[in-house]
Amino acid sequence: MSGILIALFIGIMLYGRVPWLLLAALCLGAAVLITLGRHRNTRFLTIDVLAQVSRLNRVSADLKFWTAIALTAVCASARSPATGVFLTVLMFLLIVCVGGLNPRDYLRLLALPASFLALSGLAMLFEISAQGVGIIRVPFFGTWLCVTEEARNRAVIVTTRAFGAIGCLYMLSLTTPTPDLIGVLRRTHCPDVLIDLMYLIYRDIFLMLSMYRAMRDAAKSRLGYVNYPTQVRTMGNLYANLLACGYQKAKRNFDAMESRCFDAGVRFLERGTTAKAPARAAAHTAAAIGIVGLSVLLR
Amino acid sequence: MNHVKSERIALTLACVLAFVFAFPYNVSAMHIMEGYLPLAQCVIWDAAALPFLAVGVVRVRHVLQSQRRLLILLAMSGAFIFVISSLKIPSVTGSCSHMTGTGLAAILFGPAITCVLGLIVLIFQAILLAHGGLTTLGANTFSMAIAGPLFAWFLYKLGKSLKINRKVNVFIAAAIGDLLTYCVTSLQLATAFPGESGVTASIAKFLGVFAPTQIPLAIVEGLLTVLIIMGMESFAEPELRELRWEGEIKA
Repeated sequence: MSGILIALFIGIMLYGRVPWLLLAALCLGAAVLITLGRHRNTRFLTIDVLAQVSRLNRVSADLKFWTAIALTAVCASARSPATGVFLTVLMFLLIVCVGGLNPRDYLRLLALPASFLALSGLAMLFEISAQGVGIIRVPFFGTWLCVTEEARNRAVIVTTRAFGAIGCLYMLSLTTPTPDLIGVLRRTHCPDVLIDLMYLIYRDIFLMLSMYRAMRDAAKSRLGYVNYPTQVRTMGNLYANLLACGYQKAKRNFDAMESRCFDAGVRFLERGTTAKAPARAAAHTAAAIGIVGLSVLLR
Repeated sequence: MNHVKSERIALTLACVLAFVFAFPYNVSAMHIMEGYLPLAQCVIWDAAALPFLAVGVVRVRHVLQSQRRLLILLAMSGAFIFVISSLKIPSVTGSCSHMTGTGLAAILFGPAITCVLGLIVLIFQAILLAHGGLTTLGANTFSMAIAGPLFAWFLYKLGKSLKINRKVNVFIAAAIGDLLTYCVTSLQLATAFPGESGVTASIAKFLGVFAPTQIPLAIVEGLLTVLIIMGMESFAEPELRELRWEGEIKA
């Protein structure tokens, strides 16, 4: 389904700009690529697993975080499609070639935002107007759905910008384990309540998920998902029970913490980076210069 | 009924087309993607979300000073919101859809705590699931962790004072809160991309694009919320009473 959407989007974007045979081939290619990517059974929280095994996960989390934020800001304020395209390619190289991620995994992860972008891109392309104007006109209940050149240019910029920014986000999330990221936030003096909650929520997510899986399998083996009304009822009961069990577990955790001198602060060990202090400073400076240079070049 | 082959093909084709265009693939349609909003808009929405978050953080901190144990319960509640808003829910169309959990969280924990937990959940969704993003965090927080829950909570309170049946009340609060979230998202997208026909027409356009998925979703979300709250009152009442300083658990 998303394959068709994306093919439609690409078709409209490039209509009249490239020979029709190439256009058809491109649309078909994109649709096939997306459909193939979607067919695989993706695990929940794949990104977290991939971040743990990335070759870049020992690079300073501060460096990665601030680089990603700065590049995303550069990307979001860009006025030409070149910035987005450049960052998409750069991030692909960083994540796949340097980070050692399987390119197929990365493309699969990109398929998800791509379908959203195609859907809202279509909404941005079409305008309803009384007279048929623009490059593509479709009659629609007495009025016209039109695509103008201007709308198309805008859609190109927005889409490339979004792709570049998603690349930056993935660069951060696919190479940095979440506890390291929370450590970065702690060093920026976020309110301590937020940081403590983040650490604990991150851990609780896995507890909840394992409980959820057990309950789901139990319900499934008792025909809990046999038809739609049963499914909704099972789901409601399951979620309610999930929170109840979660609270039970949380209370036991609290007792364990209290017996080990818990005094309201939650701190976890962070993995150190492999780089020495001078190397780290050099890397930070290089990144800062690179980002400033990029933002000047790509305006 | 017997169809000839061409009729069968036409029928199948019509069904496929209806399926494709009426119920678009619905992954994170509520979250605004990373990089989708211009930088200026991102900053505006960040600023709009900030005062609410400040109030929320101050509230949470005060509560925790008196009862440290609640930190652990709050964390579990946050994980719960993350899990239910990331798992697929049964959808009539077979497309992939998620609960937002805004109404549920607002009714269970109250709006101030919901906005703090919502912010954290949105950060994790951006990092761990690539739903939403870091630059659009403010906009997403505003629609999903502030506007939606506040409205749902207000509706719930209103319904309670009007003595509407409890289940109906919860259903209305959750479903309408969900729809409001989606209206705010459309507003955010429309102000960012007004098009030639102005912001109003653009809002209508974005509402139209997401309506086929969001309206059935809001109804399912409302139903699930009723079931969860009913179930919760029998399973987890003591803990919920502990969290009750502000959230409304039982009449």
